[in-house]
Amino acid sequence: MKNIVIGRYVPGNSFLYSMDPRTKLIALIVLMVAAFLIQSFAHMLVALLLVTSLLIFGKISVKRVYLGLRPLMFLLFFTFIFQILFNQEGDEIFVLPLHYTALSIFAAVAVAVFWFATKKRVRFKLLYFLITVVAIFAVFHFIDFGFLFARGTFRVFEEGLSTAFFIMVRLIIIIMLSTILTITTKPTDLNLGLERVLKPLGIVRINTEEIAMIISIALRYIPTLLDEANKIMLAQASRGVDFQEGKLKDKVVQIISLLVPMFIISFQRSDDLANAMEARSFVPGQPRTRLHVLTWKRLDTVAMVVSFLALTFVIVSRVVL
Amino acid sequence: MAIKFERVGYEYQDIDGKGYLALADITLNINKTGEFITLIGETGSGKSTLAQHMNALLTPTEGRVHIFGVKISREGKKDKNLKLNPIRQKVGLVFQFPEYQLFEETVGNDIAFGPKNFGVSEKEAEERAKKMINIVGLDESYLSRSPFNLSGGEKKRVSIAGILAMEPDILVLDEPTSGLDPLGRNALLKVFYEIHQKLDKTVVIITHDMNTVYEYAKRVLVMREGNLVYDGAPTQLFSRKNVKNWNLDVPDILKVRRAIEEKLGITIEGETRNKADLMAKIGEALR
Amino acid sequence: MSVIEIENVSFTYHGDKRALDNVSLSIEKGEWVSILGHNGSGKSTLSKLIVGLLKPQSGTIRVDGITLSASTVRDIRKRVGIVFQNPDNQFVGVTVRDDIAFGLENLQIERPEMIERIEHYAKKVDMYPYLNKEPHALSGGQKQRVAIAGILAMKTDVIIFDEATAMLDPEGRERVMEFMRTLNREGTTIIPITHEMKEAVMSDRIVVLKDGKVLKADKSENILKDKETLERSNLELLLPLEIMHYMNENGIDNPSLKEFLWQLSLNG
Repeated sequence: MKNIVIGRYVPGNSFLYSMDPRTKLIALIVLMVAAFLIQSFAHMLVALLLVTSLLIFGKISVKRVYLGLRPLMFLLFFTFIFQILFNQEGDEIFVLPLHYTALSIFAAVAVAVFWFATKKRVRFKLLYFLITVVAIFAVFHFIDFGFLFARGTFRVFEEGLSTAFFIMVRLIIIIMLSTILTITTKPTDLNLGLERVLKPLGIVRINTEEIAMIISIALRYIPTLLDEANKIMLAQASRGVDFQEGKLKDKVVQIISLLVPMFIISFQRSDDLANAMEARSFVPGQPRTRLHVLTWKRLDTVAMVVSFLALTFVIVSRVVL
Repeated sequence: MAIKFERVGYEYQDIDGKGYLALADITLNINKTGEFITLIGETGSGKSTLAQHMNALLTPTEGRVHIFGVKISREGKKDKNLKLNPIRQKVGLVFQFPEYQLFEETVGNDIAFGPKNFGVSEKEAEERAKKMINIVGLDESYLSRSPFNLSGGEKKRVSIAGILAMEPDILVLDEPTSGLDPLGRNALLKVFYEIHQKLDKTVVIITHDMNTVYEYAKRVLVMREGNLVYDGAPTQLFSRKNVKNWNLDVPDILKVRRAIEEKLGITIEGETRNKADLMAKIGEALR
Repeated sequence: MSVIEIENVSFTYHGDKRALDNVSLSIEKGEWVSILGHNGSGKSTLSKLIVGLLKPQSGTIRVDGITLSASTVRDIRKRVGIVFQNPDNQFVGVTVRDDIAFGLENLQIERPEMIERIEHYAKKVDMYPYLNKEPHALSGGQKQRVAIAGILAMKTDVIIFDEATAMLDPEGRERVMEFMRTLNREGTTIIPITHEMKEAVMSDRIVVLKDGKVLKADKSENILKDKETLERSNLELLLPLEIMHYMNENGIDNPSLKEFLWQLSLNG
């Protein structure tokens, strides 16, 4: 749980930090839509470049963003491979003859086993995996002697490659943008921004202030609950619950021994909290003044205009092209 | 030696990866029987962290802990054959809040849960539940009740019975009397003292209450900023120098005794570890 | 003038035995009245009734002359604040600043005034340097002080401390008691609800509850020395007074020592 990087605020100081959370939220949505609408290869690269420069000028550590991307690497990689293998539209742009011989199969298995045995010691796991995959293809391509079972061809089509590219870059841009938002905005400000942005929903009888209150209390209690869960685990471990081992039946009991105290304590907590809030004159749905106010600066107007211009440009070029 | 700490250090990391030293260079021995130890120290001094090393809930980042012959150390952590469960059966740890452990439908099942985890038969576990509920001062009618409808003091007793039912050699209790009224507090302390006396077990109590320390403990451990600064008898602990240096509260009995000695200009001979002793001595002095 | 008047109040939790049984008591403005009782004596129920978190089945409660009812409960909560037992379960804000602001936002205090009050009361409870801290970075005692500031900022006349020190270490407890003394000197009515005798010594009057009934209500001096009443409610005499009791029982007459023991008990 210590490695959760997505969604964490990192204190810092740059124009991204001084922007109004409303601006950031709306700009995020506008730019995401824009990223989805881009059709040209060049525009996509420019967009990626612009978002990256946003990171650099916003003094956000690229490493942090990379850490945010890392858990999703597998997903990105998988969609990429999937598109390349199964999307067979457009022209063939790459053809690789493969030979399934006794020797090549044996060699491929050997490579896979070697990868499996050594992967724990290698630092760049994804890269190592990629190299292994390439190596296996190479084995099938180059070793065409020995007893031949069958022949095959590995083909990459234009559509597949370009779709794979677009999906991947889009995902990267979206993740980068949302990481920028969460890194530079305190959860409380984000919550307040969300409340204000969603305010129009009040017309359809959705009380955005109450939703914001719920989110704010959730934010407040998440660290407390994690701490509590940890203590309950230790207390049950003291009674011989071995969370590392156990059969399926034991696992069920283990989980119950964790969940029941969690629920009981949480109910007690929410009961106490409701009392404390009520005693301090909180009445759901009643108007309240607010300590935090959002101030719209010129920077926000500029950011807003730029975001909408970017979207307009993408739409126009899509129509024109 | 049942538990042996050898130059134990423990560092934990917060979410930003910054390290904090919770324990530093602790060397300490605890016997299997005959000890009644209190562990004191200000909030954040490392008391609870120390206690959690006693049944291998935590692994030291420096040094090693030997618990009934099993070595717990950072290097040994990777050893897959190292079984921690037998240790936890031998050293029972009761957490501060009973709510952390109570989860079964009935008190009886909850008490039997621990022993069953250690391979005790259903029947034997039930027997133990019956025995232990009496030891903690509740009657057998409680066994069929829900643990969630009990008062705070009763929950505490049930959680202690749940650990006792594992038949540990050593019982470690984290702030067992906090939040109880005076009667409940005294009754529970008597229970611990009986467990120590009648069942011949070593009892370790973490507490903030110096009266408990002075009245019951045979040995006191004082933690301060992760260091073990005192390991000895309670009678020598409350010297003026220690009280000042370690920001200790003086137990009421000692405080009142010293005040009366000063007021009357007398010296009361001998130890007065409880109220009755002190009053008898004062009576003698005044007659 | 009575700030709190409780007349013949009874309360029963759903399907349970009677938590409070025909309780009457009144508390004067600026008074310090401790409500003592064992676990389960109904003392916390009483505090919840006073601020309208629970509704009595019978009897009336008046605060500042206002009879508590659904329509007056908001007025009453402006006058009476409660510090609850668990420091973690009453910290509403994401930071200390937000938490002190919470009650003020509910009372719709204007922002400039709000900021002024937050800073003033944070200083008062010595939590000013911690205004931007999050609750998990604070000790239990510090959280309770934030809770006190949050109530003070609402400018209530009465503060109930509902076992507010039970979960604190000795240092945290001492600090909270220190604020009780300061506040009482400044005119706030203080009502600690506790089973710790040391917390009751400073009070003007003590009300002892047992099984939902008022066992005895009297000047502190009389209750503190009343071994029989205290023990009937699972409480115990302070040690110096226990010694005084022993002297009385054994016919040891030493007025100056008795006076000394009395003073000793008052100084904790």
